[in-house]
Amino acid sequence: MSEQKSNITKAFFLFLFCVAIFSPAAAHTINYALESAPTNHVVRYYLLLGIQHIIPQGFDHILFVVSLCLLNNKIKTMLWQATAFTVAHSITLALSMKGIINLPGPLVEPIIALSILFVAVENLILKELKASRIIIVFLFGLIHGLGFASSLNEIGLPRNKFFTSIISFNAGVEIGQIAIIIAVYLLVVIPFGKRADYRKIIVYPLSILIGLIASYWTIQRVFF
Amino acid sequence: MTRKSTYTVTIILFIAALFFIFFRFKNEESKKENTFYPLKERNSALAAAPGWSVKQQKASNLYKTLNDSPNDKKALLSLAALFIQEARTTGDYIYYDKAAMHQVNKVLSIDPNETEALTYKALIYLSQHHFADGLQTAKEIEKKYPDYAYNYGILVDANVEMGNYDEAIKSADKMTSIRPDLSSYSRISYLREINGDYPGAIAAMQSAVKAGQPGDEGTEWARVQLGHLYENTGDLKNAEMHYLIALDELPGYAFANAGLARIAAANKDYKKAIDFLQKGEASIADYSFKEQLALLYLKTGEKAKSDQLLNEVINGMSQDSKKGKDDESIGHYADRELANAYVIKGDYEKAIEHALAEYNRRPNNIDVNQTVAWVYYKKGEVLKAIPYIETALKTNGKNPTLLCEAGLIYAKNKNVEKAKSLLQQGLNNNPNIDEDLKMESTKMLQTL
Repeated sequence: MSEQKSNITKAFFLFLFCVAIFSPAAAHTINYALESAPTNHVVRYYLLLGIQHIIPQGFDHILFVVSLCLLNNKIKTMLWQATAFTVAHSITLALSMKGIINLPGPLVEPIIALSILFVAVENLILKELKASRIIIVFLFGLIHGLGFASSLNEIGLPRNKFFTSIISFNAGVEIGQIAIIIAVYLLVVIPFGKRADYRKIIVYPLSILIGLIASYWTIQRVFF
Repeated sequence: MTRKSTYTVTIILFIAALFFIFFRFKNEESKKENTFYPLKERNSALAAAPGWSVKQQKASNLYKTLNDSPNDKKALLSLAALFIQEARTTGDYIYYDKAAMHQVNKVLSIDPNETEALTYKALIYLSQHHFADGLQTAKEIEKKYPDYAYNYGILVDANVEMGNYDEAIKSADKMTSIRPDLSSYSRISYLREINGDYPGAIAAMQSAVKAGQPGDEGTEWARVQLGHLYENTGDLKNAEMHYLIALDELPGYAFANAGLARIAAANKDYKKAIDFLQKGEASIADYSFKEQLALLYLKTGEKAKSDQLLNEVINGMSQDSKKGKDDESIGHYADRELANAYVIKGDYEKAIEHALAEYNRRPNNIDVNQTVAWVYYKKGEVLKAIPYIETALKTNGKNPTLLCEAGLIYAKNKNVEKAKSLLQQGLNNNPNIDEDLKMESTKMLQTL
């Protein structure tokens, strides 16, 4: 199975490479108002924006994070996955906002939906979490970062506080994700996680539901 | 099937789906590249205008040329110019800007330094309210061609919109020194107006009208602007006269009808005002006509009609913004206009959201600051309005609407002296501004 993971990694990077080559890069939108704002104001602004981008606006990201919590009951493992996801989306978000890579929304959005579907299906197939899940989460994080970039582009970034705003936004996203993980842990894992039929009553129905929603999104974003 | 093989199949399907999405996307992109943008049929009022059949013939010839040689730069640029003109005539900026940008991008893919294509690109950016992009493009052109007068016009407009007023004045001076004409005089007029010099603004706009050919859209646009300057100084007779001349020279001209509608509204003849606006709206696709109509319906007590129109304006502008983004990566930024529409509707939360979105793009522009300040005032957050209204007043503009709004904001903030002075200046000469604002300002002034 590790060979399969290696293949999927290669294919994914090949895919990203092709797409990046074919897409002309463009510099990010500038937020002129925040260029003259004090740093603490900028940090607060983008931190809040990052949190809001997950809760309540990012329903697709919420489902992705929930999916990451279903194959393992340890909160540490869930947080590691979330961290890998954050590191990955931070990379592509920064590269995209710097105009180094640029993937259009009509391409990124269906792949984000597909990534949710993949993790949901993986939850149904696998019995327990494999170490290689973290690589998959990282790869998907790269794509989700490009999705964040297209949303952040509507608000723009101050040129003189580029990294401050990007880091604050990512920290906000991370806070949003951790909040989701804690909620899943408290509401699902602690009450039901030790039950013998945990997979039957929680993992399967939730994964099927998430998979169906993600399938709908994928079709909708590709064809409509 | 074992768990392992199921997983393998899942991975294969996932990779296949990825490549399907990618190739479908590329296919759609290539279809877009070959999109054909025909000249749209005009509505009956505009179809009767002189020159329409000539334009149709010209377009037909250009399509024929491009069919034979798709990379003919001259034909592509002529078609782009034709689309830009047609956008201005019909008000259908969404379709024609996209159509023009399509031709321009094609030329720039052949020759990235083509000046005419870059000029059109800057113009389209301004039309779509992407002012920072327009300014950047115009600056690139200026570096290569410092004596290109037309580009200085773009620089003036872009700098004004970005709030760089000193830079705008420099560009206007340069433009006038190279080519004194309708374009340069009308820009000088606007710069004088926002610096509070109404007599100077009127004189410059008179020069602009004289420099143009009567009956040309550009000349009549300048004449209507002249009328509006008279309105702001309370000289309604002169304003009306200029609107009537514009209508005489260019029958059915929508903006002249809009001017006459304002005069009728000032005389409290709302039925007549609605008639004029409906005539204007029939010939040009401009949301500002619908917005003005919505305001008039509120005055005649027809709230349902007003709400319906406002919803049309809001939905239309929101959709246009998305449509443009998906197709040609431009998209029409209409946040300030949306903020104003939401203010009329009374939805101040949405209004401030849009006003601040525009402020993030243009924090130094006086109109944007005025909008943000006014929305905060309407929301009852009068203290928050202060820094914005101070920026709005920074050029010492004497626009009566600005002065009255500023006066009300300072009055609510207990700055009596400033409020009194601003309200007195705003109401001086009885300018033709929104009736409710005038009434509120007059009442407030009496209490100070």
